[in-house]
Amino acid sequence: MKIKKNLSKLFILLSCILFIVIVPMFFEGYSLMVINLSLIYAIITLGISVMLGMGGQLSFAGLAFMGFGAYFVANFCSGRLGFTIPTLLALVLAPLFCGIVAFLLGLILLKLKGTYFTFATIALVQVCFSFFTNYRPLFGGPDGISEIPSLSVGSFTFSSYNQWFYLSVGILAAVAIVVERIRRTSFGRSLASVRDNDMAALTLGVNVYMSKVKAFALSGVLGALAGAMYAMQGNFVASDLFAYNNATQFIIMAMVGGVNNTFGCIVGSVLITILPEIFRSLERFLQLFYGLAVIVLMVFMPMGMAGVGSQFAKKIKKILGINKLKRSANSTHSKGVSK
Amino acid sequence: MGLNVIVTVLLNGFAMGMIYALIAMGVILLIRAIGVLNFAQGDLLMVGAYITYALQVDMKLPLWLMIPVALLCFAAVALIFMFSIYWPLRNASYPAAIIIATMGASIVIKEIVMLIWGGLPLRMPPLFSNPETGGGRLLTIGSVNLQWQLIITGLVGAAAIGVVFFLFEHLYAGKMLQAASQDKFAAELIGIPTVITTAATYIISISLACIGGYMVGPIFTVSVTLGNLLLRAFAGVIIGGLGNIKGAIIGSLIVGIIEAFASVRISTYKDAVIFLVLLVFLVVRPQGIFGEKIQDKA
Amino acid sequence: MSDILRLEHVNKHFGGLHVSNDLTFSIKTGQVTGLIGPNGAGKTTLMNIISGIYIQDSGQVIFDGKDISQIPPYTRARMGIGRTFQAPRFLQRSNIRDNLLIGSDLSEQKSFTKSFFTRQNMTFEEELNRYMKVAGFDIDLENDITSLTYGQQKLLEIVRSLLSHPRMILVDEPAAGLNNAEIENAMALINIAAKENGIGVLLIEHSMDMIMNICKEIVVINFGKVIATGTPEEISSNEEVITAYLGKDADD
Repeated sequence: MKIKKNLSKLFILLSCILFIVIVPMFFEGYSLMVINLSLIYAIITLGISVMLGMGGQLSFAGLAFMGFGAYFVANFCSGRLGFTIPTLLALVLAPLFCGIVAFLLGLILLKLKGTYFTFATIALVQVCFSFFTNYRPLFGGPDGISEIPSLSVGSFTFSSYNQWFYLSVGILAAVAIVVERIRRTSFGRSLASVRDNDMAALTLGVNVYMSKVKAFALSGVLGALAGAMYAMQGNFVASDLFAYNNATQFIIMAMVGGVNNTFGCIVGSVLITILPEIFRSLERFLQLFYGLAVIVLMVFMPMGMAGVGSQFAKKIKKILGINKLKRSANSTHSKGVSK
Repeated sequence: MGLNVIVTVLLNGFAMGMIYALIAMGVILLIRAIGVLNFAQGDLLMVGAYITYALQVDMKLPLWLMIPVALLCFAAVALIFMFSIYWPLRNASYPAAIIIATMGASIVIKEIVMLIWGGLPLRMPPLFSNPETGGGRLLTIGSVNLQWQLIITGLVGAAAIGVVFFLFEHLYAGKMLQAASQDKFAAELIGIPTVITTAATYIISISLACIGGYMVGPIFTVSVTLGNLLLRAFAGVIIGGLGNIKGAIIGSLIVGIIEAFASVRISTYKDAVIFLVLLVFLVVRPQGIFGEKIQDKA
Repeated sequence: MSDILRLEHVNKHFGGLHVSNDLTFSIKTGQVTGLIGPNGAGKTTLMNIISGIYIQDSGQVIFDGKDISQIPPYTRARMGIGRTFQAPRFLQRSNIRDNLLIGSDLSEQKSFTKSFFTRQNMTFEEELNRYMKVAGFDIDLENDITSLTYGQQKLLEIVRSLLSHPRMILVDEPAAGLNNAEIENAMALINIAAKENGIGVLLIEHSMDMIMNICKEIVVINFGKVIATGTPEEISSNEEVITAYLGKDADD
């Protein structure tokens, strides 16, 4: 068992290193920017992983929080309010601010259960989109907000796509480690119990409602972080990114990769962002194939690619003949008890 | 606002509300029968609009022939949808998988329609058209002018919904469907095959949406953006009470009327108004206007 | 032995149905208290009231001298009221380790930051081995919970509950669906809880063998009412009980 776990850890580590080494060697300009975007999107997808994968709550709100984060940076850093704050400070404050907003919203919205909650998050996305598009003083209206400065730390400014690549990888890695860690804390297990059996959760001392609220706040933090990075990398924010259709995109990314698997979510985000660029030549058939692929993936691997991966790992383990490590001592009844 | 404006806005709201109600009813039938939130229901409405456009404008079928052919096509679409999206996934361990598959279906449907009919909006003639201008005819009562197409939309919508209600409340087949939706296992035991009841539910649900598409085509134009009407129907479903068909119809009408008035007063924030009302509803009365506390299947 | 839990005049209605009718009795630490009664007598409802899933219409639930009637279920669990279910309730998509850890999370009440920065704790391993010896089967902590048989899951649910170091556990029909060997093991686990750990146990069970064997005290309810309390001997000779319950059982 240990061996399998270490094997998959090794596999993940190796593929990450390979990714970091190879990508800057072969990609530049536009294609590197797309890869950077996919890494930023992966942060939102991890927020969905926390909500849906760990907590079983289907939420579209990640996109709205991404909007908050992006417009937060746009307003405070571009100088359109008449003053600016340092970009690094904004990168920290935006998630913090949105985390608080998400927490308060969560207190209200998570009084709702299941499908009701999902509907509420759709409504939230719609309301936010409507304001982003129409309210010029804060969101610049349909033209968006431009001239957002890139992130600078001290005297160093992240200006090239190359620099942004390493920055995005770094932040994403940090987020991924935090999320993976949370999965293994008492909070992660509380969420799992909320997802699988809320009655059992209650009798095991889990405050179901507050667990969901906290997860929602966390997804708000991650959404805003991604939004802030998006605004700084592209130096521009416009409302069309925050339309409802794009919210489904992030959920698809999470589900395709494997919603309850940190690495799977990242792979899902990267693939779904990059593949359309690779298959540009399909032109008008591109979206069709994308949609078909989503359906086929759900039919044949509802647990996403990570689900297939773990099944594959189990098979390998069988082939290698690694026996189960028994934990407890045999007792008198141990054999022949099971039906 | 003058009388003319108020009546026109009310009628507009009522007609659009009926369209939302047709989508909403289908959504609820599916939630009740199989516990799945269908994110492609709006796109199926759009398919209905294109099918009727093809039959009426491209093939120039007369109305008496067009209606039965269209209904057959709707049923075919429903069966294809069911057997490709729902059936393979009905036992999936993650319920979200089916929901995501319907999101995928939403994309596929849009793209197929674009491949066949192109991305440009198509003009569909209204049912009672003015032979001289080609536009819709008006019904004039005193100083008030009403569009026939809106009136017909309201009536047809009400009739379609009425037929489904009659089916469920008074016919044996309808009772069978309801029984099956409550307990599939028990229904199988007394000899009601799940395949048939599920298929029937899909046919009814998707035909309702398609009829909505036929009605709405002349009001707007026939284009893929018709799929976005789904979100309004969702709002109606919540306001009325998830799982409650009567509530959803009234909720949809409320959404239609709010929308109609909002577009006169504050048209840019039309969407925000509808969904803010929805959020307020969710928080203040999550069970909706008519909903009792029900078990959430999805 | 002191009272750990006391019910005082608890009433609960579902619509017109009076499922708990002026229930008054207490549960002592260090012994197993049986709760029996025909199907539909209101046994599981009562457990739900004690663990806080339902709130009674009137009356009080007193745990360790404190009125907990208005306290939410998760706080009651943290105060030390453990629970198993008729059909075992596990996290179906998590492995056995996480399913057990959620029990020990409850006993340790570690703060989030602490559990975030410390290594995954397996402090309960020794304890677990002790219980698993009694439960009589082996587990691989990395396996899915669904790899266990129904009977094993029911036994493991008792173990999970014990790992949370409760001060009282409510055990709902542990023997239903188990084979004879497993029933023996379940009884042994419950005995450990009462005798070695010295906690209070409230046991619902239809298997009279089990009840008569391990209960010090038995409460019989019918139609939501307590019709008798006493030792197994007293109960088995109580006329009212025999007509209401045992008599019917003997006819089967």
